[in-house]
Amino acid sequence: MRILLAEDDRLLGDGIQAGLRALGFQVDWVRDGFAVERELRARSHAAVVLDLGLPHRDGLEVLAMLRSEGNAVPALVLTARDAIGQRVRGLDSGADDYVVKPVDLHELAARLRALIRRAHGQPRDRLNVQDVSLDPAARQVEQAGRSVATSAREFDLLHALMLNAGRVLSREQLEQHLYSWGQEIESNAIEVHVHHLRRKLGARLIQTVRGVGYVMPLGAVTS
Amino acid sequence: MKRALASLQGRTTLLVVSVTSAVWIGASAATWLDTRHELDELLDAHLAQAASFLAVRQGGEDEELEHGRGANLHPYAPRVAFQVFQGPDLRSRSIDAPSTPFVALDHEDGEFATVTVQGTPWRVFSAPGSDHEVRVVVAEQVAARNDIALAMLRSTLWPMLVAIPLLAAATAFAIGRGLRPMKRLGQALAARSPATLEPIPVQHAPAEVEPVIESLNELFGRIRGLLDSERRFTADAAHELRTPIAAIRAQAQAALTVADAVARRHALRSTVEGCDRAARLIDQLLLLARLESGIAPQFCQVDLADVARQVLAEATPEALVKRQRLGIEAQGQYPVKGSADLLRALTRNLVDNAIRYSPKGANVAVTLVREHGGTVLTVEDNGPGLPQAERTRLGDRFFRGAGVQATGSGLGWSIARRIAELHRLEIAVDHSPELGGLRVRLAFPDA
Repeated sequence: MRILLAEDDRLLGDGIQAGLRALGFQVDWVRDGFAVERELRARSHAAVVLDLGLPHRDGLEVLAMLRSEGNAVPALVLTARDAIGQRVRGLDSGADDYVVKPVDLHELAARLRALIRRAHGQPRDRLNVQDVSLDPAARQVEQAGRSVATSAREFDLLHALMLNAGRVLSREQLEQHLYSWGQEIESNAIEVHVHHLRRKLGARLIQTVRGVGYVMPLGAVTS
Repeated sequence: MKRALASLQGRTTLLVVSVTSAVWIGASAATWLDTRHELDELLDAHLAQAASFLAVRQGGEDEELEHGRGANLHPYAPRVAFQVFQGPDLRSRSIDAPSTPFVALDHEDGEFATVTVQGTPWRVFSAPGSDHEVRVVVAEQVAARNDIALAMLRSTLWPMLVAIPLLAAATAFAIGRGLRPMKRLGQALAARSPATLEPIPVQHAPAEVEPVIESLNELFGRIRGLLDSERRFTADAAHELRTPIAAIRAQAQAALTVADAVARRHALRSTVEGCDRAARLIDQLLLLARLESGIAPQFCQVDLADVARQVLAEATPEALVKRQRLGIEAQGQYPVKGSADLLRALTRNLVDNAIRYSPKGANVAVTLVREHGGTVLTVEDNGPGLPQAERTRLGDRFFRGAGVQATGSGLGWSIARRIAELHRLEIAVDHSPELGGLRVRLAFPDA
């Protein structure tokens, strides 16, 4: 999952980025309000971790504006402002979750997974499509009760397709899910990962929609 | 008694009763003297009259008078006596008169005198008799007169003795009533919880109590202000410590979570850096708390050049890391009045800011010059400087310039401004014409 981290403190931002990366997230880190606005407008992140005291533009201000424009990206506000009134104001301005510093990295990761899952209308953390089951927290995949080993990229790709099961995702959208800034994307990377997944989970699981992208159908596909 | 004296009611009652008693005693003494005088005049007249009666009756008979018993009918009678002389011889006397003459032969007739005969003081009057060489002397014991005067005084004294305790009780009651507003104020103050700093209502308070209440309210206001700023400071401090601690936690957890050895080392180094930063922030907070506690620092003669050199020496390692050049321009000594510790902290904060907010390889210069009899310390750099709008916000607690990547606490300027205030220094921030970055000028008045 690719998320946006907006934090102006160098040490804290660096630590959260390193920690969330180790927990399986792709993390892009911005340090001021303008950059947050720019990145969220591009809608390439599954969620945003937002510090409120950002330079140039306050985090809540940016969030309220994006919400008014219909941007529904899940937003977790991470802040040192802990008064009840501020929490309420944060949630009312469009935050989906409000966490006061300092925060446990595992908790932060779990809250982000929950936000992303809810944003995709999934009631449970574990995703089930057809006979494939994916556990985002443990980063494990099972098929018909049998564990399937996947690489990190394959897992992220499968995760994205299962979260959006029944919807077609373009190659660019999938690339955005998989890669953060500065990571080299080979031109046929998505095709290669899809190929590997088909080999491990069966050819019919992920279908190609010519000229559009890939989709994981909700029910078993006959024919 | 001590307790009674400690209370206003007790003191005032005692004072009123004492003063009243003193006045009363004075008045009684005056009455006594006046009564005694009037009595003397009256009784002297009687004495003279008695003498003239005797002189007329002294029809030359040569008899030992035995009528004294008859005169004893009145209780004062024995105290009145007479002697009749013919020439130097005592011809007759009343029964209670002494046998020795009351007065000497040469005593002039018609004159009153007070004499002591056989230990008893007498008031004496003599008159010439109708016969030749006969002289009538009448006398009255002075004690008798005193008894009459005392009896008269007693009649005024005993109501007084009854009246004084009554007066004391009435005074105590009246003063108690009069002081009731004071008592009510005391009770109202005692009933307040220690945390209440609301002003006491002044309306309905008597004029004497009003200034007390007003002063109290003023005091409450000042304490409330102090407490508010304390509370704000604590809240700000707790809030500001959250981010450094969150950073330490995130870095430490990242070190535990990442698999890559290089990334782990980086996270651990960052953890240590985070601890240093938190410690620095705490130092700054403590210094600021001390500066705002209102305790005046000890001032003495300080050489600014010495202070500046020490600060630059301390800051050199940090500047070396960023390959920045530190320089000082000073000639001789620059004595100023102040606290060496605080001036060092002030200069250190200015130099630290210059180092922290200037890019790698920048120049930071400290200059000391004498100007208009005072001394000016300048810290300037060739960093990015600050826009005018942000310059005015320097010194707001925890304010950091926008887009600042360095990890400052935002307290350095608060501290610098506060120390400058304590030393009555003028602190000015502008653009450095020589280096192109930020310039901070501290103007010290003549030491």
